[in-house]
Amino acid sequence: MHFEIQYRPTHSLAIAHLEPGESVRAEASAMVSMTRNLDITTDGPMGGRGGLLKSFKRAMLGGETFFTNTFRARGTPGHVTLAPTLSGDMLAVELGPGEPLYIQGSSYVAAPDSVDIDTRWQGLKGFFSGESLFFLEATGSGPVLVNAFGAIEQFDLDGEVIVDTGHLVAFGAGIEYEVTKASRGWIASYLSGEGLVLRMSGRGRIYLQSRNPNEYGQAVGSELPPRQG
Amino acid sequence: MQHYIEHGPAFAWLRVRLEPEERIVAEAGAMVRRSTALEVETRLNASKKAGFLGMVVAFFVALMRKLFGGETMFVNEFWGPQGGEVVLAPKLSGHILRKSLDGTRTLFVQSGGYLASTAGIDTRLRFGGLRTLFGGEGLVLLQCSGQGDVFVNSYGGITEIPVDGQFVVDTGHIVAFDGALDFRVRSIGGAKSFLFSGEGLVCEFRGRGTLYIQSRNLKALVSWVAPLLPR
Amino acid sequence: MRHEILDAPHFGMLELTLDAGEKVVAESGAMVAMGPAVAVETKMRGGFLAAAKRKLLGGESIFQNTFTASAAGQKLYLAPPVEGDLVMRELAPGETFFLQSGNYLAHVGEQLVLDTQWGGVRSFFGGIGFFMLKVVGPGTLFYASYGAIHEVAVGAGGYTCDTGHIVGFSSGLEYKVRPFAGFKGLFFSGEGLVCDFEGRGALFVQTRKAPSLAAFLHPFRPVQQRGDN
Repeated sequence: MHFEIQYRPTHSLAIAHLEPGESVRAEASAMVSMTRNLDITTDGPMGGRGGLLKSFKRAMLGGETFFTNTFRARGTPGHVTLAPTLSGDMLAVELGPGEPLYIQGSSYVAAPDSVDIDTRWQGLKGFFSGESLFFLEATGSGPVLVNAFGAIEQFDLDGEVIVDTGHLVAFGAGIEYEVTKASRGWIASYLSGEGLVLRMSGRGRIYLQSRNPNEYGQAVGSELPPRQG
Repeated sequence: MQHYIEHGPAFAWLRVRLEPEERIVAEAGAMVRRSTALEVETRLNASKKAGFLGMVVAFFVALMRKLFGGETMFVNEFWGPQGGEVVLAPKLSGHILRKSLDGTRTLFVQSGGYLASTAGIDTRLRFGGLRTLFGGEGLVLLQCSGQGDVFVNSYGGITEIPVDGQFVVDTGHIVAFDGALDFRVRSIGGAKSFLFSGEGLVCEFRGRGTLYIQSRNLKALVSWVAPLLPR
Repeated sequence: MRHEILDAPHFGMLELTLDAGEKVVAESGAMVAMGPAVAVETKMRGGFLAAAKRKLLGGESIFQNTFTASAAGQKLYLAPPVEGDLVMRELAPGETFFLQSGNYLAHVGEQLVLDTQWGGVRSFFGGIGFFMLKVVGPGTLFYASYGAIHEVAVGAGGYTCDTGHIVGFSSGLEYKVRPFAGFKGLFFSGEGLVCDFEGRGALFVQTRKAPSLAAFLHPFRPVQQRGDN
């Protein structure tokens, strides 16, 4: 199976092409359309290999459900088209043995069975904003489909960089990270509006998105009618 | 300073390479990534010419807006003894435009449209009435003057309109305009249209100058999404 | 009348140049900017009596604006609320196009018919504000999409599409709405519906959809304080 991504980078749509018998596992809310010769099964969080998902509030996951659907082509070739919630780009990152990819929870879209997705709860809580983040670990071989809010920038880090976590899509092995203050002092960091900021160091690949879903959510959400709680 | 506007026109971000001691001021929350060697200072985006009272008022306004929503006017200033790189991104999707001011002209930027500016640029918040203070109707503008660059962001694409005479724009679609233009906010076509037409307020421009409009409008997005929300 | 579509496919905006006496009808809230000699008239769709008789679905706007130029060369800019593409479609006399109501932007031509009453399909597509307009030519139709527009040539084998992702389709297609076999996630607006298409025709799919955005934004809304009414 392979992913074909169209309408990059703004309104990207991924087409998962399936030969007879081939399958792809996708985040439940991602399906857009499909040929009618596919069998569909539903798995629990992360195909049953979930971790501590029971306590997650949906707010932290940006609307992700972590139920997955598996689409399998029956007899003839078929396809399923996939898209994330927000506008932006998608990328199929090819994994090789020993080359894990750490993907921000809301950036994962789909992968074949040859890729193992493991939830790895990172207790990265923002000091003030209540912003939390968790990463999935993708290992194995084959393509992993990730989405970005905005355009994707990928670069190879060799040294150090300070990154706003809301802009982090994924990163490879060889990168260490620690939470750091956005500005001088705690009050300033609160007012700076940056939320969680990481100091990332080492040698490895980093994928960033050119928009921050939390900033966008706040900007639009704060204008919406209030909710009941 | 070198600047690069990348990933436009839909998801543009601004990448800036600062010389040693060179400064750039950016809207709170805009940073994507930066060199570890840069210093960051968070402060109010008050006019440099404001006296003590001006600063107190500006602080109060900023605090109110942070608590009740709206442009906070807190900014982050980036600089370093060896310089460095910082990448800045707006909140909504769209493009970034750089406007250079030479000390003789003023640029009005709609609140939400300000992304960043260089050290020589002075900014003053201009708005009409208490309702606007709390994010209500009307135009909230940042008046920019001085010498340097202002980086403006849009929601949607940016279209440049050379006004020569008269032109009417829905207020939510204004990005920025020349200080030389006269402007007046009114409701479109009488009371009935205001209630039913779906258009909010419009701004009537007169004179000669450049106007930048954006092809999307946050208030329109809000109206469109609102009926789909649960209780 | 001249037309140009600007900023497409990311943020399609329609630029019309009208001469004296020319008119265009547009969705309420679509005006971006206009020249000084353009008058706006607000009417209820189909007249007051028809509107009163019609049961309204949430989100359906019963008001539309008619813009009439009183001088030559008047500019009028129209845009939909959400990011995506904008398309013009010329319809020949009697030619039918089915358009999702939320995607309608504007039309030119007093003989163009926008029919919401046909075949009782409104309830089939589920959710709030999801119903199909039957548009019959002659006339020029302008419609928008949330995301990019992906055209599918439906033929033997049929095709299935999530209802929220349907922009429109040509005549020649049979359609049937049903719940999705797999898990569609916990969306609020009666989600989880797909439409099976059969026959021969063109289906226009948009790569993003409104209920997903609403679900994403919901946690960012201000919380209603006790004592608010």
